[in-house]
Parts: sequence; C-alpha cells; structure tokens
Amino acid sequence: MFAVRNILTISKREISRFRTRFTGKSSFVILGILTICLIITYIIYHEEFALSKGLYTVGIPPDSTAITDARFNVVTLDLETGRTMLQNKAIDIYIYRNQAICRDDDRSQYAAGALKQYLERWELARIANEYSSNQAFPLRIEINHLKAPAGNLDTKTQISLSDILGLTESSAIQEPSGISEEGLPTPPQPATSSTDAALRQQLDEFRSGNKLPKFKAEFASDKEIIIPSLMNPPMPLAQVVMAFLYVVPILFVSVFFTSSFMEEKTGRKLTILLSAPITPLQIILGKILPYIGYSVVAIIAITLLLKGNILLALAIFIPVMLFILSIYLMVALTYRTFRDQTFFSVLAVAVITAYLVGPAMFSGVSDLSYISPLTLAVEMYRGGSFGLTEYFLSTAPMYLIFLLALFVGKRIFNEEYFTGFKPLLTKFAEAIYLVMDRNHLYISVFLLSLFLIPIVFMVQLSSIVIASNLPLPFVFGVVLITSALVEETAKSSGIAVLLNNGIIKSLKGVLLLSFISALGFWIGEKLLLYLALSVITESVFTKAIFSTGLLVIPLIMHFASTSIVCLTTARFGTKYYPAAIMAGSVLHTLYNLCVTGVIL
Amino acid sequence: MNRFLVLLKRELKSIAKEKTIMLAIIIQFFIASFSSVLLIGIMSFYDPESIGQNTQISIDVGIVGDTSSPLLWFLKEKNLRVISFHHVAEAEEAFRSGYIDTVIFIPESNNGIVDMKLVLPELDTTATVILMVLQEPLERYENYLREMNGVQLNYKDIGGKPHTTREFLYSLIVPILMLFPAFIAGSIVVDSLTEEIENKTFDTLRSTPVSVNSVFASKITAAIIISATQCILWAVLLRLNSLFIQNIGLVLLFSVIIAAFIAIGAAIIALYFKDRERAQFTYSIAMIAIVGLSYFFNPSPLSLITRLATGDYYTGTFEVMLYSIPLFILGALFFPISKKLVST
Repeated sequence: MFAVRNILTISKREISRFRTRFTGKSSFVILGILTICLIITYIIYHEEFALSKGLYTVGIPPDSTAITDARFNVVTLDLETGRTMLQNKAIDIYIYRNQAICRDDDRSQYAAGALKQYLERWELARIANEYSSNQAFPLRIEINHLKAPAGNLDTKTQISLSDILGLTESSAIQEPSGISEEGLPTPPQPATSSTDAALRQQLDEFRSGNKLPKFKAEFASDKEIIIPSLMNPPMPLAQVVMAFLYVVPILFVSVFFTSSFMEEKTGRKLTILLSAPITPLQIILGKILPYIGYSVVAIIAITLLLKGNILLALAIFIPVMLFILSIYLMVALTYRTFRDQTFFSVLAVAVITAYLVGPAMFSGVSDLSYISPLTLAVEMYRGGSFGLTEYFLSTAPMYLIFLLALFVGKRIFNEEYFTGFKPLLTKFAEAIYLVMDRNHLYISVFLLSLFLIPIVFMVQLSSIVIASNLPLPFVFGVVLITSALVEETAKSSGIAVLLNNGIIKSLKGVLLLSFISALGFWIGEKLLLYLALSVITESVFTKAIFSTGLLVIPLIMHFASTSIVCLTTARFGTKYYPAAIMAGSVLHTLYNLCVTGVIL
Repeated sequence: MNRFLVLLKRELKSIAKEKTIMLAIIIQFFIASFSSVLLIGIMSFYDPESIGQNTQISIDVGIVGDTSSPLLWFLKEKNLRVISFHHVAEAEEAFRSGYIDTVIFIPESNNGIVDMKLVLPELDTTATVILMVLQEPLERYENYLREMNGVQLNYKDIGGKPHTTREFLYSLIVPILMLFPAFIAGSIVVDSLTEEIENKTFDTLRSTPVSVNSVFASKITAAIIISATQCILWAVLLRLNSLFIQNIGLVLLFSVIIAAFIAIGAAIIALYFKDRERAQFTYSIAMIAIVGLSYFFNPSPLSLITRLATGDYYTGTFEVMLYSIPLFILGALFFPISKKLVST
C-alpha cells in the first residue's frame, strides 16, 4: 500500500512537470504545428497520394486521351516531333494509335513498363463499360485449398479433389463440366454463371479506384472467385499504416519520458529522490506510469477513430507500448550526453519501426509475420482472427523485455552509474555486473542467460532482415554466423563481467558457471522453440536459429561453446573476450551447419 | 573567419568524439536494409512476372478437364511443367504425393464463360507464390477468351521492363538516403545549442571575443558538413550496389541546401525553446509538417531528387537553385534575430 502511494506520488510529480513544460506561448506554437500536420494529412489522404510524380515523360498526339497518372509528365506532340524528341531523349515514350514507340535504353523501357500497367487498367475500364460482363470478363476461377501431401490426414473426413471439382472419381477428362451426380456439391452450370455476383463486386471495387484497398489475409481465400485481370496483390499496406498509427504517439510519448529522465539525471534530482524512503523500482514505475496512461488514452482514441475493437487493440498494443518504453528506459539510463540520447532514440525508432512494420507487411503470406504484434492488428482490421499461440509469440518477448528492463533499471539505479562518463561498452559491462547478485552467482548467471533469450530472439530476427540484402547463399551463412555470435555473447557476458571484476577465481568455477549459463539459455531456447514452432514451421532460418528437435545435444553444444569463450577469457583476460566469442562461435556455427544438414 | 574555423573544428571534433557519425550511418544502414527486404517481398507482388523470372521456382501444374485448352500452351510458355490427367483420382494422388503443386480444372466454355477451378495447397506462402506465377498465363488465357467473344484489348503488346522495383528505389530509397542526413543535421543543431544553453556554457562563450553568430554558424556548418559527408558515402555505397545516381553533383548540392535549411530552422527552434525536450519535440513535428507541405511543391524535394537521380531531361540546376531561395530568406532572417532569441 505504501509502495503504491509512493508510485502515485512520483507519477503526480511527473504529470505536473509535464504540464509546466507546455504552458504559455510554447503550447500555442506546438498546437499550431500539430494542427498544420493534421490539415496536411487530411488533404494528402483525400488527394491521391503519388510518390513518383513526373518520373516519366510521355508524348501523346493532340487527339489522344489524357493520361491522368501522376507518374507521367505528359507532352502533346505530333508524330514527327514525338519521334525527334524521343531520339533526343527529351521524352521517354510516345503513344501513337494504340502503339507505344520507345527506345532500347533502360529509361525508356521502364517508362514503357509503367505505361503498360496504366493503360491495361484503362483498357479494362473501357471494356467493362462497352461490353457485357460475360464478354469482357469471361474467365472466372474458383480457388480451393487442399492439404498436400496427404500423409497423416484422416482420409475419411477430408475433402477430396472430386468433391471440389464436382466430379465423380471415375469421370473422364472429356466429360462436360456441368455433369454432376446426386448429392455432389456443385450444381450444373447455368446459362448465366453463378460467378456473376463475384465479378460484379470486383468490378465495383475496380471502378472505385482502390483508394484504400481492402486487404485480404490471403491472396485468395477458399472458394473465392478471382478474375485474373482484376486480381490484386495481397498488400496489407493500408492496414499496416493503420496499425502503425498506434505506434507514432507511443514513440512521441516515450521521447518525453526519456527527456524527463535525462533532465532529472543531469540535474541530480534522481539522486535526491534516492535519499528519500522510496525504492528505485518505485521511482521508475512512478515516472513511467503517466506515460503508460497517455499511451493507453492514445490507443483507445485511435481505436475509436478507426472503429476497431478497443479490448483487442489494448491487448495488442499494450505490450508494444511496454516494449517501446522499456527500450527508452534503457536509453535514458545508459546515455552519457545529449547527442548520445538523440542518436540512440533515432536508432531505437528505426529498429522498433523495422521490427514492427517489416514482418507485418507479409501478413497472410508468411507465418513468420506473427513475430510482430502489428500483424495481429492487421488481422483485427481485416476482420480476421488469431489464436492465443500467435498472440503470445508476438507479445511474450515484449512483456518479458519490459520486465527485464524494470529489473535492470532497478539494479543499476545509483548515482555512480548515472554520473559515470565512460565508454559505452564499459557502461554495458557495469550494468551486467550490477544486475547480478554476487551472493547468488549461480542463480544470477542462470537467470541472466534465460532472460536474455527475448533480446537474442529479436536481434537474430533483425539479422535475418539485414542479411536478406545479400545473395541467398550468403544470407544463410551470415544468419548462421550472426546467430552464433549473438548467442555466445549472451551466454558468456555475465561470466566475462565476473571474470573482469575478479569474482571467479578458479577454472573449475568458470566451467561450472559455463554449464549453468548454458543450461539457462537452453531452457529458455526450448521454451521459445515450443512457442515458435507451433506458429512458424516453414523457415530454414528458424530451424538454424532454434536448433530444432534434439534435446540433450544442444545443451552439450551450448556448454562446450560457452566453456571455450569463458575459459579463453579467463586465461588471456577480458581484452581477448571478442576473440574468445569468435572461437566459441566457430564451434556453434559448425553445430548449426550439422543441424541444418549442410555438413555431415 | 579564423575564429569561425576554430569553432567549426571544435564542433566537428566533439561530434567525431561521440561516434555520432557511426551511429547515424548504422541507422541509415538499418533503414536501407529494412527497405530492401520489403522490396524483395512486396515488389514481387506488384510484379508477379518477376517472381517466375527472378527466382528459380519450378511449378508443376496438373490439368483436369479440357486438355486441348490454349491455357496449356500459355502455361508451357511460362516454362511451367504441365501434366494432363484423365481421371480426377490420378490428379488427386499426384497432388497429395507432391508430384504436382496445383490442379487446374478447365471446363468447356458455357456461352463464352469459363468457370475454372484452381486447387492450391493449404500453406499460405506456397499458395500465394503459385497464384502469382499463374497470374500471367491466366491473364493471357483471359485475353484469348475475350477475343473469342469479340472483345479486343488495346496496348497489350507494349513491352517494357518491370518498373516497380526501379520506381521504389528511385522514388523512395534514394531520396530517403539523401534527405535523412539533413534530418540528423537538424537534430544535431538542436542538441548542440540546447546543451550549451542548458549547461550555461553558452554564457561563458559569450564572454569571449567570439560573436554569437559565429558560434551559431559554426554549429550549423558542422552539421551540414556531416550531412554532406553521409550523402557522399551513400552515393558511393549505392554505386557499389549497381544503383547509379545521375546528376550526382546536383543531387548532392540539393541535399546540402535542404540540410542547411533544416539546420537553420532547427537553430531557430532551439533558441526559441531553449530546452532540449520541447525543442526536439517541436523540431520533430515541424519536420513532419514541412515534409507534408513540401509534397504540394512542384517538384517536391522527394520528386526533385528522383528526377535528378533518374536523369530527367527537364530537371536541372534551375529547379535546384529555386530551393536555395527559401534557404537564403531563412538565413537572412535567422542571423539578425538570433541575438534577440538567445537573450530573451
């Protein structure tokens, strides 16, 4: 009760501090800029947004239909002038009587590709108006999904291909499509097709101009009728943008949170607070609480605006908010100068955005997209559903990181740490040292390895993102090596810090702690594996990262590689710690290559 | 001038000491990496043809029904393996055993309409890829049926190259890489000025024979130099990745103009608010407002870089120099009012 009162007191203080910041003239300036932002967003939203304005220059004859795509800068020219200007590269392409005249160079060829895409849509609109829908769109395709291979399926209950096609198993190929026997699901083809309604709906969507395309979770869902020329790619862009709308205010709120911490740190106010009968955790929670409140209000407001499900939105975005705040808490606790803080904040924004938006763009295409909670929001806004497993896969690491950040924050919350202007790596090492309980070394090392799992998981996924820039064989290699380096660093960092501070004296102690650390990491890894494999099954990278299947061998491998790193560090000193990590990573990578079947 | 150079050197040294440039480059590298991953995934949806062309996907298509349909020819032209089945059971067995990836049931035309059925595996990713690869032959078949119905589509023979990737690179990636350093430059100026004001070191500087404006000028110039260095570095890296920026001199000049404009704007904000918290927040939202407003310019900064980088015939020095006008106006306003701002 006393603790809650302390937290609330700090929160009140934080709110009043925030208020005084934005009073008087400054609040008018900020409100003015915010209003301008909103007006501009509104106008751009209602105009058709075009990124590549005037990218290509197209010549058209005087009697030609206008081209309304903003990508094209249109010049009206007669044929002769058009040809001359095309040769002189003053235009990229010339349209003449249903033909496109272009050069062989890249610029002109790309313009032709873009113009073809535009004109095809224009032509579809024309034939849709000029002809009956049966003439203009004669091909309709019903999509069906079937499990393959059959393997472990119960053949009595599963749907057969004959059911889908509406044919008996003995039907020969040349029989007309309309034939069906009693009890079979597909009726004979009527003169007007049963697919007409689906066509009408797609034509309406096509004519509406697709300002905010309706995203489908799959390219085509079961029993859906598609028209090849009207088929749209499964781009969840609109839904991802909607989901990212939630992240923007949280990011702004977090910047204020960090700034508040910074001001109190440099002004030594945190030190004064520490001398009061209040714990570091209470100070952190008290300071973070108002920002959690602001973020929750923002989440509710945005959901009301977008007409979403408030409870579901809170369930999805509260972990995102906690994750962002924990990153900013760490930035606030470890930065040394103003510029440090700005750069860490910008870096944090880039990393958070990449981590959240990247996977969500593949919603419905790859199950790997479920590593981002934004995918859940995309599902929410398309009216889909997701299970508890998907929810926990995307949000559990975020909840865990928040708890970890609170714990680390509590342990490193002291004046000496705050005021020390040391190299960044030294600050990290100090933080790890402060996090561990010197009286319970084994438990500390065990828990450190276990709780670093969510961070390792996120860094490894990010490494996949960065490595994807490389040619495919390199991607695999880089991901394997990076994941080994990250894991070896996570497992050995605690022991290396203890060695640096002279806490571990014997090689036996190093070996024992290496085993404890490997055990902690192995348990965490298996927990994560259990969760991940139930959702993500198809990626060879996840297999490499999580070392699937085996139970004891990964533990032995973790122990062996951690021992190499820690014994090398114990023997040659922490100066050679990076080299020791590399040595351990070599063994780890070799093991990963065996698991993925590349060698042996 | 000498004092200005001394101050400039001091600024650059302090930034280099904090390894800020490295961090800025890491941020940009991350954004670029992130973008190119999206590029691989998303652009393939826009250009379904490129999936078949650029990746070594081999899809085996089982056909049930009208095996004399021209669709078979279109599928084969796409280099897909096509296997005809006489019985549904055979096709099903082949599908379930993994011998074929998809089954297409082609019925005979019913009054000019073909109601086809396509059977795909349940796994989303595979089904999506198959459907994307099939889209082009299916569209060709659709056009064939249209022609049979007396409907002629114009312009379908225009060639050209898949353009989406190039548009994405030149319309988004190149402008972001060339303008992001300018955003960082503004942020550096805000930090640098508010730090001096909040730590009271600015008062100390004012007591020396250094003019206030030369302090500001040195901070702004240092930020611009860093921004320009990053742009040059990005141009080199892009070139190594076979992405050529045409009119590179003008693109860099334009980036410097924008960086200078933002840096001076950031200095005004910093001097007005005097504390980092409000100044950085206002600077961030002001940036959003400016980026939004600039969308309505013709050409906007983003499209100007795109047009310059792609070698547009009609875009050159004149358009770049137009953007120096607001820079000179802002500069002319800033230096006279800076003293007033700092002393209030």
